[in-house]
Amino acid sequence: MSGRLYQLPLLPRTLHAVRPVAPEAPAGKKQAAARRTPLWYAICLPQLMTADTLAYTARQTAIAELLGSLSASVSIEPPDSFVFEVRSTLNYFGGIQRIRSRLQAQLLPLLQSWGLPGDIQQAASPTPAASLLLARAGCNVLVYRPENLRSALGGLPVQLLPQPAHKSRQLHNSGLRRLRDLWRLPQHGLWQRFGADFVGQLDRCLGKVASPIKPYQSPPFFRSRLEFEYAVENTQILLHGAEELLARLCGFLRQRELAATHVSLNLEHEHQQATALDLELRQPSRAEDHLRLLAQTRLDTLVLPAPVLGIQIEVTHFEPFHASVHSLSGVETARSSAPSSRHLIIPLLEQLQARLGNAAVCSLLCRNAHRPEQAGQGLTYGSTVGAANASMEAATASQRPCWLLPEPLPLRQEQGRLYYRSSLRLLSGPERIETGWWSGQEIRRDYYVARNRQGMHLWIFHARSEEHGRERNWFLHGIFD
Amino acid sequence: MYSIMANLDTPKSLESLLNSSLLWRGGEHQLAASSTQNKHLPGFCSGYPALNACLPWGGWPASALVEIITPLWGAGELQLVLPLLRNLSQQGKWILWVSPPCLPYAPALTQAGIATGQIIVVSPDRATPVQALWSMEKALQNEACALVLAWPDKLSGKHIRRLQLAASTGRTLGVLFHHRHVRHSSAVLQLRVDSDEEELQVTVLKARGSYRRDSVRLARSTP
Repeated sequence: MSGRLYQLPLLPRTLHAVRPVAPEAPAGKKQAAARRTPLWYAICLPQLMTADTLAYTARQTAIAELLGSLSASVSIEPPDSFVFEVRSTLNYFGGIQRIRSRLQAQLLPLLQSWGLPGDIQQAASPTPAASLLLARAGCNVLVYRPENLRSALGGLPVQLLPQPAHKSRQLHNSGLRRLRDLWRLPQHGLWQRFGADFVGQLDRCLGKVASPIKPYQSPPFFRSRLEFEYAVENTQILLHGAEELLARLCGFLRQRELAATHVSLNLEHEHQQATALDLELRQPSRAEDHLRLLAQTRLDTLVLPAPVLGIQIEVTHFEPFHASVHSLSGVETARSSAPSSRHLIIPLLEQLQARLGNAAVCSLLCRNAHRPEQAGQGLTYGSTVGAANASMEAATASQRPCWLLPEPLPLRQEQGRLYYRSSLRLLSGPERIETGWWSGQEIRRDYYVARNRQGMHLWIFHARSEEHGRERNWFLHGIFD
Repeated sequence: MYSIMANLDTPKSLESLLNSSLLWRGGEHQLAASSTQNKHLPGFCSGYPALNACLPWGGWPASALVEIITPLWGAGELQLVLPLLRNLSQQGKWILWVSPPCLPYAPALTQAGIATGQIIVVSPDRATPVQALWSMEKALQNEACALVLAWPDKLSGKHIRRLQLAASTGRTLGVLFHHRHVRHSSAVLQLRVDSDEEELQVTVLKARGSYRRDSVRLARSTP
């Protein structure tokens, strides 16, 4: 029994071959066979390609979301194609033509909104690989039956098969220009000359071997809401509510092997805007205890503007979950102990940040700079800095003070002597620091080490020029220890 | 009492008397003597041999609270803990500085051999002293953190007791710097640091497990 090979109508292509009605088969059997064969619709949009990877991914996702309304399994086939299964939705939409016109109607405005031309290369066949090849070749055909695939694919150039350059050269040199030429060769010989991968590719096209696709899944999103029976003002009760929501969230994360980095809790009030509590995590986590601790820390210090009617939890950004690995013997090697201690301190730092604010927790940054104010700075914990900026070595060999005042403090002068708590005696110096003329914050200073009667060692400087409105004078800049 | 008196009859017995567990001598470090036999009272080397000798732990006590009382900031009190900071940070231990008088200067710490990557500075709002005490307690309770240096604005005996408890549960060494002597403090070690132009005088006001009230003079490191 041979079947039909249809051209998709309304498209500017000529018909390949049309067999009128095939010899009658029993109706029930025919329908059952048709139901069994899947039908994969492929579209190819070469105009999507752009150098901007971010925009490219966004476009791909948008199209995959759109195709989701036509089929349950959609796959993005890089670089420029999409495949989706339509057999299961064929009855619902009322035939392949309806699906095609629906697709056209939805896709064209989208492409227009990106300023792209609206030509769509499309094809449908029983295997995803064959549909892709046909669509990429711009054939615009519909192949219903697997046995017709050979003739439908036969005219395509072999260069369309995704393969390394030397393989296509080899094919070309062997005089194999079209897939038809390959059909004629014995399988075993092909396998020997071009390898198992190549033969596998052909088999997948013809449906001899199953070709699994990776279905597109829209990014996960979690939102859950809890409504109280009465307006709540007690944070303890709020915490219980939050705990329940966090437990739901952690269940969601566990099922999908995900971890969250940012959890937003919204406390809803009657006539007011909701109070937002954001739980920030430096390391993706799904530990219920840790999230609860953070929520508790935030709620402890929270002053409620109004009674709370409900809580909503929302997570939009997820990371894959990585379990931490512990040594079975309980003996940590020297190398593994450093990251594990980092992993232990993070919950504490997040808890501190949750209560005191992000800016209150910082690490120390040592920079290779000559200006004392720039050489050492605090860096808010969690923010990152370019590796080139940070250095482990101090820029200078001369001793620096352990405390640097945020602003230089003018020193009192009496009868030619300098005072800070008591009269100062210079111990060493001067060390001239003269730099920064290019940044508009030029400094020209002579630094000395001085000591007062209380035994304080001070780092003082004499400004050699006026800077930032300060007079030329003596200033205290640091205290040694 | 009878057996001690009986032993005193012969001159040879003085040594055996000293070894006798019935006798307790006030001038000795009880803990130091016992720690040679069993190692359950660890300490950190302070980096100053003279100071090590007058502390029962042979240095700073571990999992305890230490008070350093100093008349003013910047008179050399940080010099006392710099060797400890160096040792712990190079071992990859975490060190928290809670509400320091101003931001520590990273190049100076690097010059002192301290791995600044292991230091976290927590500076809560000074308007609410409770925040600093809360941060200290949380940090001391956390086992991942080896040392907490803190400059509290407000401190009472009750706070010190709570912090001492947190330090022993979290097995963390806490060092409090403050100006005023708090009576009946439950800190394990209380030191007063006075400095003059050449030297740093460290006086032991209280050390748990010892009745010695030593005072050592350490040379100032001149920049």
